[in-house]
Amino acid sequence: MEVSVIRSCSQATILKTELGFKDSRFSFGKFNEKLFFRKPNSVSFQSPLRRGKSGLRITAQAAQSDPLPKSKSSTKSKTLNRVRLFAGLPLDVVSGGTVNQFRAISAGLKALKLLGLEGVELPIWWGVVEHESMGKYDWSGYLTIAEMVRKAGLKLHVTLCFHASSQPKIPLPEWVLDIGKTKSNIFFKDRAGKPYRGCLSLAVDELAVLNGKTPMQVYQDFCESFKSAFSAFIGSTIMGITMGLGPDGELRYPSHRGFAKSDTVPGAGEFQCYDKNMLHLLKQHAEACGKPKWGLGGPHDAPANSELPTANTFFKDHGGSWESPYGDFFLSWYSSQLIAHGDRLLSLASSVFSDSAVNIFGKVPLMHSWHGTRSHPSELTAGFYNTATRKGYEEVAEMFARNSCKIILPGMDQSDKYQLKESLSSPESLLAEIGTACNKHGVGISGQNSTVGAPDGLKQIKKNMLSENLNDSFIFQRIGAQFFAPEHFPLFIEFVRKLNQPELHSGNLPTKEGTTTATDSVHTRSNLSIHMQSA
Amino acid sequence: MAAVTIDSLLQNPTLVFRPKAKVLLKPPRSLDCSRNRKLPLSRGSCLCSFNPRRTIHVVRASSSETALIGNFDISSSDDILYKDIFPVKRIEKVEGKFFIRLDRSKDQHDWQLTVGCSLPGKWILHWGVSYLGDSGSEWDQPPKGMRPPGSIPIKDYAIETPLKKLSEGDIFHEVKIDFNPISEIAAIHFVLKDEETGAWYQHRGMDFKVPLVDYLEDDGNIVGAKRGFGVWSGALQQFSNVLLKSEASHADSQNNSIESKDSKNKNRCLEGFYEEQSIVKEVSVGNLVSVAVRKSPETGKVIVCLETDIPGDVVVHWGVCRDDAKIWEIPAAPYPPETTVFKNKALRTLLQPKATGNRSGALFTLDEEHFGFLFVLKLDDNTWLKFKENDFYVPLLGTSSVPGQYGQSDSTSEEISSKSYTDGIINEIRNLVSGLSSEKSQKTKKKEVQESILQEIEQLAAEAYSIFRSSITTVPDEVVSETETTKPAVKISSGTGTGFEILCQGFNWESHKSGRWYMELKEKASEISSLGFTVIWLPPPTESVSPEGYMPKDLYNLNSRYGTIDELKELVKSLHEVGMKVLGDVVLNHRCAHFKNQNGVWNIFGGRLNWDDRAVVADDPHFQGRGNKSSGDNFHAAPNIDHSQEFVRKDLKEWLGWLREEIGYDGWRLDFVRGFWGGYVKDYLEASGPYFAVGEYWDSLSYTYGEMDHNQDSHRQRIVDWINATNGTAGAFDVTTKGILHSALERCEYWRLSDQKGKPPGVVGWWPSRAVTFIENHDTGSTQGHWRFPGGKEMQGYAYILTHPGTPAVFYDHIFSHHRSEIASLISVRNRNGIHCRSLVKIVKAERDVYAAIIDEKVAMKIGPGYYEPPSGSQRWSLALEGRDYKVWETS
Repeated sequence: MEVSVIRSCSQATILKTELGFKDSRFSFGKFNEKLFFRKPNSVSFQSPLRRGKSGLRITAQAAQSDPLPKSKSSTKSKTLNRVRLFAGLPLDVVSGGTVNQFRAISAGLKALKLLGLEGVELPIWWGVVEHESMGKYDWSGYLTIAEMVRKAGLKLHVTLCFHASSQPKIPLPEWVLDIGKTKSNIFFKDRAGKPYRGCLSLAVDELAVLNGKTPMQVYQDFCESFKSAFSAFIGSTIMGITMGLGPDGELRYPSHRGFAKSDTVPGAGEFQCYDKNMLHLLKQHAEACGKPKWGLGGPHDAPANSELPTANTFFKDHGGSWESPYGDFFLSWYSSQLIAHGDRLLSLASSVFSDSAVNIFGKVPLMHSWHGTRSHPSELTAGFYNTATRKGYEEVAEMFARNSCKIILPGMDQSDKYQLKESLSSPESLLAEIGTACNKHGVGISGQNSTVGAPDGLKQIKKNMLSENLNDSFIFQRIGAQFFAPEHFPLFIEFVRKLNQPELHSGNLPTKEGTTTATDSVHTRSNLSIHMQSA
Repeated sequence: MAAVTIDSLLQNPTLVFRPKAKVLLKPPRSLDCSRNRKLPLSRGSCLCSFNPRRTIHVVRASSSETALIGNFDISSSDDILYKDIFPVKRIEKVEGKFFIRLDRSKDQHDWQLTVGCSLPGKWILHWGVSYLGDSGSEWDQPPKGMRPPGSIPIKDYAIETPLKKLSEGDIFHEVKIDFNPISEIAAIHFVLKDEETGAWYQHRGMDFKVPLVDYLEDDGNIVGAKRGFGVWSGALQQFSNVLLKSEASHADSQNNSIESKDSKNKNRCLEGFYEEQSIVKEVSVGNLVSVAVRKSPETGKVIVCLETDIPGDVVVHWGVCRDDAKIWEIPAAPYPPETTVFKNKALRTLLQPKATGNRSGALFTLDEEHFGFLFVLKLDDNTWLKFKENDFYVPLLGTSSVPGQYGQSDSTSEEISSKSYTDGIINEIRNLVSGLSSEKSQKTKKKEVQESILQEIEQLAAEAYSIFRSSITTVPDEVVSETETTKPAVKISSGTGTGFEILCQGFNWESHKSGRWYMELKEKASEISSLGFTVIWLPPPTESVSPEGYMPKDLYNLNSRYGTIDELKELVKSLHEVGMKVLGDVVLNHRCAHFKNQNGVWNIFGGRLNWDDRAVVADDPHFQGRGNKSSGDNFHAAPNIDHSQEFVRKDLKEWLGWLREEIGYDGWRLDFVRGFWGGYVKDYLEASGPYFAVGEYWDSLSYTYGEMDHNQDSHRQRIVDWINATNGTAGAFDVTTKGILHSALERCEYWRLSDQKGKPPGVVGWWPSRAVTFIENHDTGSTQGHWRFPGGKEMQGYAYILTHPGTPAVFYDHIFSHHRSEIASLISVRNRNGIHCRSLVKIVKAERDVYAAIIDEKVAMKIGPGYYEPPSGSQRWSLALEGRDYKVWETS
């Protein structure tokens, strides 16, 4: 079937002539997509197009050398341009010392460069590099990536992952897991005593549990080795390093275990202070405060992991134990442990990289469910003593400021209106709260989208990029089949183009109805959710 | 044998849709499954061209690696210039069993479904249930009580339960699901997943379905009833035979007991059964290739010693180079034994088995002036082993390289080579962009540049996407095993007809002009038939906004620019009289409206099918449809029909039935099927029961910077996906093959005609029986010429499609041209030798200037200017036909 095409100047495929396309082969399949019409029911039929080699050469010239020429002078676009855009590489881009899907990565990098992205984010896993035995590092695959990125003319943001990933499966180093088999107290535990093997407990930071070394020393050795292996890149290609701080790299306790389901109301989470070493620290603290009886365990009336906050009395909106003196005692201690842990790691990173021209980042989670209650249970169990009556992110921001580190906030794609009503969730107001605290302490904010994806995510990201919530960079998660898929990538292109040239609305684009329609329809489809790989 | 199974599946009249939206059906990597009754590796061999003769090797544990290295007897003398051991990975198949058992649990009240698997792995059962009265295809979560311990809910529609070994000594990992037969559950659905590899194990691209109710219980004759009714598509329809044979008495007694006990529960008739299938898992196996270079003190020559522990025949494909550019050259003789020259570019040496251990190796003596030694390995299953996607490289010129450094330098060079391909073009764009910045360029020019960059970005993204995707896509369910029966049963299915069909496209883009095409064609009916065609495709018959017929308006008005409805009937009758089947060209994707709605938008239909805007998809803003979103691509020139609407489907089914009845059409050519889900097509075909049906699924091939990619797997995958969605009830035009023929013929790149596994590179290589091969149609050629076949090479194209499997289609313009007698001769060679849509093709040559193949060992053909003659062995070949750059032989 065929209907002749009324060509608009948007038929960019024709421009290919210049680049070695000899004929129309390339564009044939797109006819049906690019058809457009004047009015329904009266399609014009005209004689077939003659697309020969003549007449289609372009000797085009442009005024700027930007990869994707931006239009000049728009104040709005300037505001936007200060936020640098990165895209995350696949989590398992390197495994066993080799680069996976080399050609795809290489093509992807070129596409991103042409699109005008600042760079890419590369997750480097403890469990990949120091996989076999302590102190034996294999950086080869990651070095190959760094070289590819450099050659592509992009910047690199490195994330040092001291945690494990479940999907794709990247566990902690084998030798660490081996130690954990006999000493399960190097892991966080919940009240039932179930260990979390996704990262080490913060209580062992300074204990010599890893073959005579403390985890802090092991992290430090890792960072030093990274620094020397990548010395040729740091400061030139590598401009930012994110220090892994806990579960999923985030500064928090693994309070929410198991699968995050988008369609069920999440629980309150559970306090994770039940490994031997945490309990010991709690006991010491309680005794020092003169309340030895408070140091025997966590709150007895807190709900379990997947239970709703209302399942027990600790988080009750009015008169819950969280507001009691005991509650304050426990929550202060619990959150201060987390902040101290973050402080240790970030100051470690700052000192290791002090002589390098890189920014150090740390990631803070967006525990937005139950934010609408007074007690903010999800935040409390994750280690943030932030309630209706206490501004808990101040001390977090202050800790980042002290170490001259910037903060990474995920969940920039989440908007309030798509949250489950029952979960009293508000990602937007929580983001604003953290943003305010950061601005107050002069901490730069870099954004990320959430791992689960969100309806209208790109729109929300753009909104955040224009707001005060975001002032450093944005790392879009993450490259892969889904990212480059025809149902997503065009949206992403549109997103980037609009960031760079917000005044150039689609109406101004050379393509008229054809593309606009196509874009619109994809937009609606994307509402179904962009499913990104988990970070 | 497989053919029978498949066809029985296809004729199954019920809809068992994949749970489209809810279940992840793009398995990361597909495992090969074949039933026990078949040759276990028959389909495997097509998937990966793994040689069936080869025994399956046990996977080696990695811990043996060090031992192996130690064992390599690289000369230990100190004159070694270079020495390295390359780890290589290859894919091996491990075979095991997988069973499904349905029986009563110990307490005799409940039933139990057991699924087990004998292969090592972290097996997960991904499962759900459907309830009585569920009309859709989606899974539901089973009730809590049914979930075995350790189950994890996945969203709200499935459960994942790990398979466990009951005790250490067990061979099988299993999972048991207990359920109460009196529940509302109609069936249990599952797929198997290996967490270690991320691979999914499905039943021919669908889930396994275990039915728990039988509507036909009263019938008594369960086997017959089931076959006739065919409710249980998927695995179990065929199971019934097996289980009744093997466990007849057992199952019967159980049935009796359950019926006597549960007399209330009339609609249930559970049968215990046990079914085993073989399962093949791809495991990547590490091997080592060691290379040592030393200098012979006597001769001054360089000796390269290569050894490997890869089992089977290993051929080293090797050469030398002069400099860092690593351009392959052939060194001077002498060569090791078993060496042949390959295309004057490289040498091929078969490694000789070593006396000790299961290793093989060779010694290469070279002049010392060579810079480096290059090689790749070819295994006996036709797979190639490279080093990080590049050639192995061994420096010769006094380089005493340290292995550690080596790896790094190589990865860089590898990058350069793969980059250089695309870099040139990117630079060109950059130059375009920055080149003449001083000149004030016109705004439009700038936009053009922008567009061209965007185009570039899209290309790169598409490349990245296809690679990322290819690592997670399924290789389609191979049906080549069908070809194994030497005389395929003549069984008619709408996807294939008899399997011996040859199609004639009975019109071109101008045929509407005379206003009496039907009458003109009628006069040619016997002529066309006498050329050997069995099926003819007529133009779209309905009233249409465009004269060619592809913008239908009133579907029941069959007076068109081609003639009146009566003339059409007359034509069909004449065609039937000369023994041809007739395909109607039906446009189901879109329909032009009769009236405007209150907003002035054309979306209200008239005529007998007076639909309103609910019949129009919602995601095309131009037509303000109130239906659901489109299940496919949109065609923007007319309202796209929303096939998810029950009333639309009912009307269309009725219409197709009417066309069959009233006009006498035997089947369909389905226009623009990209526009809606293939599952609906299946619905329509099952309702209208055509003799033959073929869909037009036309989208772009993969190009990288104007060069068509050699690998068009993603393109044919999309077509195969569509055929799969129709459940194989329709064939599809093999656009992939046409595209590859274009490049091969036009650019003299005949090597393109073999894919990486030595099969035809189009749809015909993957699913021959559903591929309708063609070289031209009314869109690509005729007066439109949107994608015309390379001029003067048409006969090479026909020599290819008319000798190869698939169902060939010949374009009207070619039949009534000077090609006519040659085409007629090709058709008679095809018919004489009984070549059919599932014939077996063996590619014997795919080189720059010649492609040659032998089909069913009866017909040999070559196209291209290069030389080829069929081997003078046991078969005697005689030239049947010869034309410009093609030759066809048959056995005499």
